[in-house]
Amino acid sequence: MTYKDRLPCGSLRIPDTGRAVLLAGWVDALRDHGELVFIHLRDRSGIVQVIFSPEFADQTIMKSASTLRNEFCVAIRGRVQQRAAGTENPNLDTGSIEVMATDLTILSKSEALPFIISEKAMVAGAGDRVADAVSEDLRLQYRYLDLRRPTMQGHLLKRHRIIKVVRDFLDEQGFIEIETPMLTKSTPEGARDYLVPSRVHPGNFYALPQSPQLFKQLLMVSGYERYFQIVRCFRDEDLRPNRQPEFTQLDLEASFIDEGFIYDLMEALIVRMFAVAVVDLPRPFPRMAYDEAIDTMGSDRPDTRFGLRFVEATDIFRNTSYGIFKQILQRGGCIKGVNIKGQSEKLSKNVLQNEYAREIVPGFGAKGMTWMRVMEGGLESNIVQFFSEEEQQAILARFGAETGDVIVMIADASYDLVTSVLGQLRLHMADRLGLIPANVYSPLWVTDFPLFLATDEGITSSHHPFTAPDRTDFDPSDRDMLLSLRSRAYDVVVNGEELGGGSIRINDRDVQRKIFQALGLTDQEVEEKFGFFLRALDYGAPPHGGIALGMDRVVSMILGTSSIREVIAFPKNRSAFCPLTQAPSPVGREQLEELGLLGSGDAKNAAGTDQQRDLVDALAWVSRIGVGEQERPMIAGALKEAMRLAGRLSERQGDEEPLFCVAGDVNRMRKPGGARPSPYAESGEIFKNAPAVKGNYFKVAAVLE
Amino acid sequence: MQTDAFTYLDPSPSVWGHDSVMSPEQGPLAGKSLTIQPSLSVRGWPADAGSVALKGFVALEDATVIERLKKAGATLVGTSRMSELGLGLAGDTTGRILSEGRSDMALMTDMMGEARIIAARVGAFAFKPSNGTVSRFGLIGLAPSMECLGILARAPEDIVAVMGIMAGDDDRDFSMCGSEAPRFDHVTESDDSIKVIGFMKEPIETLSEAEVRAFRGCLDRLEKSGFRIREVSLPDYDLFRSVHHCIGAVEASSSCGKYDGVRYGHRTAAAKNWNDMYLKTRAESFGALVKAYLFQGAYFQFENYGAFENACRIRARLVKAINGLFAEVDALAFPTRSGSIREVSAEDMEGLYDDFVLTLPANVAGVPAVQIPGYCTDGNADYGLQIIGPRLSDGPLLSLAVRLSKMGT
Repeated sequence: MTYKDRLPCGSLRIPDTGRAVLLAGWVDALRDHGELVFIHLRDRSGIVQVIFSPEFADQTIMKSASTLRNEFCVAIRGRVQQRAAGTENPNLDTGSIEVMATDLTILSKSEALPFIISEKAMVAGAGDRVADAVSEDLRLQYRYLDLRRPTMQGHLLKRHRIIKVVRDFLDEQGFIEIETPMLTKSTPEGARDYLVPSRVHPGNFYALPQSPQLFKQLLMVSGYERYFQIVRCFRDEDLRPNRQPEFTQLDLEASFIDEGFIYDLMEALIVRMFAVAVVDLPRPFPRMAYDEAIDTMGSDRPDTRFGLRFVEATDIFRNTSYGIFKQILQRGGCIKGVNIKGQSEKLSKNVLQNEYAREIVPGFGAKGMTWMRVMEGGLESNIVQFFSEEEQQAILARFGAETGDVIVMIADASYDLVTSVLGQLRLHMADRLGLIPANVYSPLWVTDFPLFLATDEGITSSHHPFTAPDRTDFDPSDRDMLLSLRSRAYDVVVNGEELGGGSIRINDRDVQRKIFQALGLTDQEVEEKFGFFLRALDYGAPPHGGIALGMDRVVSMILGTSSIREVIAFPKNRSAFCPLTQAPSPVGREQLEELGLLGSGDAKNAAGTDQQRDLVDALAWVSRIGVGEQERPMIAGALKEAMRLAGRLSERQGDEEPLFCVAGDVNRMRKPGGARPSPYAESGEIFKNAPAVKGNYFKVAAVLE
Repeated sequence: MQTDAFTYLDPSPSVWGHDSVMSPEQGPLAGKSLTIQPSLSVRGWPADAGSVALKGFVALEDATVIERLKKAGATLVGTSRMSELGLGLAGDTTGRILSEGRSDMALMTDMMGEARIIAARVGAFAFKPSNGTVSRFGLIGLAPSMECLGILARAPEDIVAVMGIMAGDDDRDFSMCGSEAPRFDHVTESDDSIKVIGFMKEPIETLSEAEVRAFRGCLDRLEKSGFRIREVSLPDYDLFRSVHHCIGAVEASSSCGKYDGVRYGHRTAAAKNWNDMYLKTRAESFGALVKAYLFQGAYFQFENYGAFENACRIRARLVKAINGLFAEVDALAFPTRSGSIREVSAEDMEGLYDDFVLTLPANVAGVPAVQIPGYCTDGNADYGLQIIGPRLSDGPLLSLAVRLSKMGT
């Protein structure tokens, strides 16, 4: 069979009426009316209704059509005809026509599906089928079927379009795409590296790149001036719901530029990317210094779609007699608050005190929260009696408070804690009260980050040690001065999500050395870690800078998907596991041995006891049963017995018999009718046996530490 | 110390809260009392299955068999003490309750022959039905493909009556055998469909002299009563035990996955995070014997799946072989227990399997088995006569038990 004349299913329209067509694709849905068989035929372009009728198709074809099932792959010849008035399907782009089949070839059959793929109802008025609440792991296990769904195909198509926009735009701007290595040197950046053992250099490892940072800077040294790459990066970080161990980044770097160049370039690019989904972003993007972002919104990636800016209130309480505030101010602390305009109805005394002050805010890390409802007759609060009339008036004035407003304040000895807690509270309140406008995109540049952060041992780079400082005349041994330095870094933030960031880099080797000194690295450490890179700076490095955008996140935001996994063809699940391929998986001893990953000496000396110990631990982990030192010998003994048993079974095995199944011939499937909640869950009785309950949920320990 | 045999006694055993059920006087099981294990769900009764893993668990609904027994007017006395999750017989008080006459009958999980062994110890009858005959909905188990509800009684007629009530299809148990289910309304002593009784030579070779003498004496007595006795052979007989051990451990490891301390049962006092909560909760939830079994199951599942597959293939071979024997004979006789069997239950897996080696073949093959007292004795000890029949021959097997009880001493 030749497919030369094949037409896309989704392309047919009324002008095609009367045309003989060859179509091929999958059976999306079907209805068998005995005499007539209706199917929805789906290919990448869309869906068209095909009808098998004895009027057009001979008996063999009709018989074959009656064997069709969902997701059979078929080729069909037929004639397009306009649908009778009243039978049009507005859910389909092709809903005004249908194809009367004259020939059918079943190209391959499909097993019963693990979940429904079809998203389009066959009859008008039924609307689109909402994707069933299929468990995500099941979707990922059968990802090749999940990806057949038009929604997923749409996501990947749009992703392709967005990435194509990036390539076209950067090409227009004189950037060239250059590939950098995947097997590279482990570098001390933020996260843990994924390591790849080398067979030819036993005991040595490559690392998968966390970003092509050093290579792109080397390309600037090499005079490429404008480089970019759509590149896979890897970070072995702790699990977070919306994070992947490997992710795609738009990485770019340019020479002889400053921050202004990056702002212009990226704004133009981001506007074009959003335009793929017909989202109009206004330019220029506002800019905000890091200090202001922290001081007014408590985050270095603030969500600027709504207000709720912080109000400074420390000075109001300079001479307060309220004990708690007094103590905090004596320890050099601060007090900040937010005026939640006109929400006193939704934020009752009970909600503010019992939910926020008692539960939610302590969860954010603060000891407490002060709240005040602005009522007709003045402030209402559980502690308002401790504030003087003067203080109460000052609060009203400072917060611009009117009747119906709610003022919440956080006081603590630590400025960082006050801003961080208030920042989380700001998001929580905005979400709860519905203050975040839908379908609004609010981009922002965050700039002027501190170059260094204080740590217990000294200081550390807040981005990476190649970021240029705002001034170069600093003394690397003056800690206070170092902490006051700003970096020439910038992050692009949309709706409170960091889409990317970058900086102008250091191209002066003396400045770079001073930075390493400031970080407390010895010459030897610097040589070991960055020697090759520093040498490159010795040979005439141009001023340069760049940025990287997380493409999975950008695409997910543009398409408005619930997670980045919806825009990645084959993602890992939330546990960094791939249910489709079952990666990561154990490997054989031989493989480990060849890579020099088995301490062969140990294995010999300990005569297998180490492996035994490992086996107990490995099984304790997979079956989540902790083993105390006392029971260890008993468990190890039981495992030896299991191994002997396995040996006996293998000696006496015979492959002539199938695996025994106790179930016999009767159908063991759950009777149809769909899942339904247990009546005991509905009545709440199910919680009677639970060790810990919170509201209508089972309470468990935190997923992460 | 009497009450010690029970972990729970129904405070008002003859009054049922449901209007829809008949009062005990009206039903076919009126006046019959039953003791169950705390692994069988009765709404409102504690059901911890003898394990810390289910500490404090109270059943929310009746098991299917309990629904049926209540409707038939049986009196549920309470729950006996049981071994942890029914593995082995450590601490089990079912035998004591029966021999002290505190209950006419008892139900207990028979995973490897527990009901038959207990009955043989106290000189009672016990019946293990074919797999898929009695619903296991509401039964807290360990190895689903091996276990079923066993019935112990002093009179075989009581077993017949209870089977008549309990057996039959149940929408809530997907492992039921469906339309081919055996019936119990024609079980009488006049049913003589079992004529030829075979015995395997392989298990006999493992018995002591006194045991062989008792068993031969028993066979002679059966022959004199008109049965034909035939020796048969199953060279793979020793594999029943290995297959049960491997598959049982894997199923136990899988079944016990649900004890996570989230929805019910024990939860560790302090845990840093989710994984820590699982590790500690489950470390504290299981006793040594169950833990050894679970680790063995985990070994087969995660480290040596081939061994589990071998066991499943060998199981198919054993089922085929035993079906082959049932073409030659109507039923097979074994002693129920060997004389060396410990009164104190074994504390390691090998010892445990030693104790049940004669009864577990019926569990592996899913066939019915009945334990009959008073036939296989050497003057001092009653080893018990165990007769197994082809799958779904539950009716004829119980007829045989009734017949033998009438011919008895």
